[in-house]
Amino acid sequence: MIWAKEETLPRVEIEAIQLERLKETVHYIYERVEPYRRKMDEAGVKPEDIESLDDLKKMPFTYKSDFRDHYPMGLFAVDKKELVRFHASSGTTGKPTVVGYTQNDLDMWLNNVARIACMGGATPEDVAQIAFGYGTFTGALGLHGGLEKLGASVIPMSSGNTKKQIMFMQDIGTTLLVATPSYALHLGEEIRARGLDPEKDLNVHIGLFGGEGMTEPMRDEMHKVWGEGFLCTQNYGMSELCGPGVAGECEKLCGMHINEDWFIAEVINPETGERLPAGERGELVITCLGKEALPLVRYRTGDLTRLFYEPCECGRTTARMENLSGRADDMLVIRGVNVFPTQIEEVLLQIPEIGPHYEIVVERKNRLDVMTISVELVDDRLLDSYGKLSELEQRIAKGLKAQLGLATRIKLVAPHSLQRFEGKAKRVTDLRKDGL
Amino acid sequence: MIRQLSVFVENRPGSLMEITSLLSEAHVNIRAVATFDTPEFGILRLVVDKPAEAKGYLTERGYVVSIHEVMGVELEDKKGNLNQMLAILAEGELNINYIYSFVIREEKAPVMVFNTDDYKKAAQILKGADVKIVEESDL
Repeated sequence: MIWAKEETLPRVEIEAIQLERLKETVHYIYERVEPYRRKMDEAGVKPEDIESLDDLKKMPFTYKSDFRDHYPMGLFAVDKKELVRFHASSGTTGKPTVVGYTQNDLDMWLNNVARIACMGGATPEDVAQIAFGYGTFTGALGLHGGLEKLGASVIPMSSGNTKKQIMFMQDIGTTLLVATPSYALHLGEEIRARGLDPEKDLNVHIGLFGGEGMTEPMRDEMHKVWGEGFLCTQNYGMSELCGPGVAGECEKLCGMHINEDWFIAEVINPETGERLPAGERGELVITCLGKEALPLVRYRTGDLTRLFYEPCECGRTTARMENLSGRADDMLVIRGVNVFPTQIEEVLLQIPEIGPHYEIVVERKNRLDVMTISVELVDDRLLDSYGKLSELEQRIAKGLKAQLGLATRIKLVAPHSLQRFEGKAKRVTDLRKDGL
Repeated sequence: MIRQLSVFVENRPGSLMEITSLLSEAHVNIRAVATFDTPEFGILRLVVDKPAEAKGYLTERGYVVSIHEVMGVELEDKKGNLNQMLAILAEGELNINYIYSFVIREEKAPVMVFNTDDYKKAAQILKGADVKIVEESDL
């Protein structure tokens, strides 16, 4: 099923919509958002200079750091009283990235999510269990609202509590699971460990996955655990852009269809900022169209991908983005949560008993991400007792939990035992292979 | 009271040897040694003849070292003697955080050192029971 006619328009018509909305957006931000106006003036671009889609490349980029520099609402284009919703995601340092929605923004967002759910096989008959963490993250409430818009019934389970997840699946008859792919694998294995066969004993036959990338080996594994008939697709979004609903896979599994009437996608060389032709790999840059509260032009997502414009067998004509193939920056995705090493560093620097050097190792154990942070002990007063050392470990873990919203393992090591770097430090070792 | 060195060590092959070889380089004589294992790190506790010099030498070479005082008690070398001393402390409701014994005493009686939260009370109780407390100068 295809949710909106905009998904099947001829290329020229999609581009006509994009151009009209782009012009409006550029005027809108120039008039209403001071940091944009300043950037445009510095770059010598006026709203009138944007006369074609190609002219978009004249516009300056927007970075995640702009959210930090204008925290909390400096990039907003409307007054706070016009908003109906806030969300927040992790920032590059201590302050979160705060986003806001007007009623129109919310409607547009959830319609886009309904399209994505539809692409992934959801219907109004489905019972959808949302196993994303609720809270300020956009994932859970985005899918929640989009699936309701579609007419499905929603179980707002949140993440974790495997026993209860399985109980609801059995007792209510869940047909659709929303989760990170790694959590879906973990859950499937837990179900099998309880002697149940998901294919025979449960009704779950659709998975809508996001929050982290799903590799093809993960998808194969998903079929082994959940059954061959399990239709699992992934979708793409980030809170700055609206949340989920930017792009999603259809049942043909040949890339994620971008909701192009609301988002213009470009791929650039992350070093030079130069736009790359279709089919070449680079950093994804997204311009949001028609957003009222938080317009965003040429946002550097940091995600590496390729774009394809050929129409899909499913009937959609919108551009497709390939599965993500990494990051242009050092962001990590841990259990679906974005983590920047700078956030970790900020916490560690506030603890005087340890030195400024650290190392991060990320592994996947039992399908779940485990992050271990090694830090050097420098304060000799703690050698009094093990109690003081373990209190220190707990204090570091607690600080990180408050900052990242994630549990971490802390490893105290001797001073000078961690590697020193001249120039750019390589502090992160990611041992996850193909996400398995 | 006896001064004790505490050194942070990682739980990996050779980490203790690195410390003992540095101490021998510095002509420091080890009189008592103890370590307790945890999965990732340990605290090596040592009684040495020159604690301040030993700390300086190790600290310069990047180790985290501290000096604490522990209580030393001389035992008679006969059955039940350690038990007797521990019973005295238990009766006084003193908690022993850790305890270890000297490596070599030549011809002298064995010495146990221990850590507790209340040394004043420990000294009182032990003296009251006629247990000999050893000072650094006695070693």
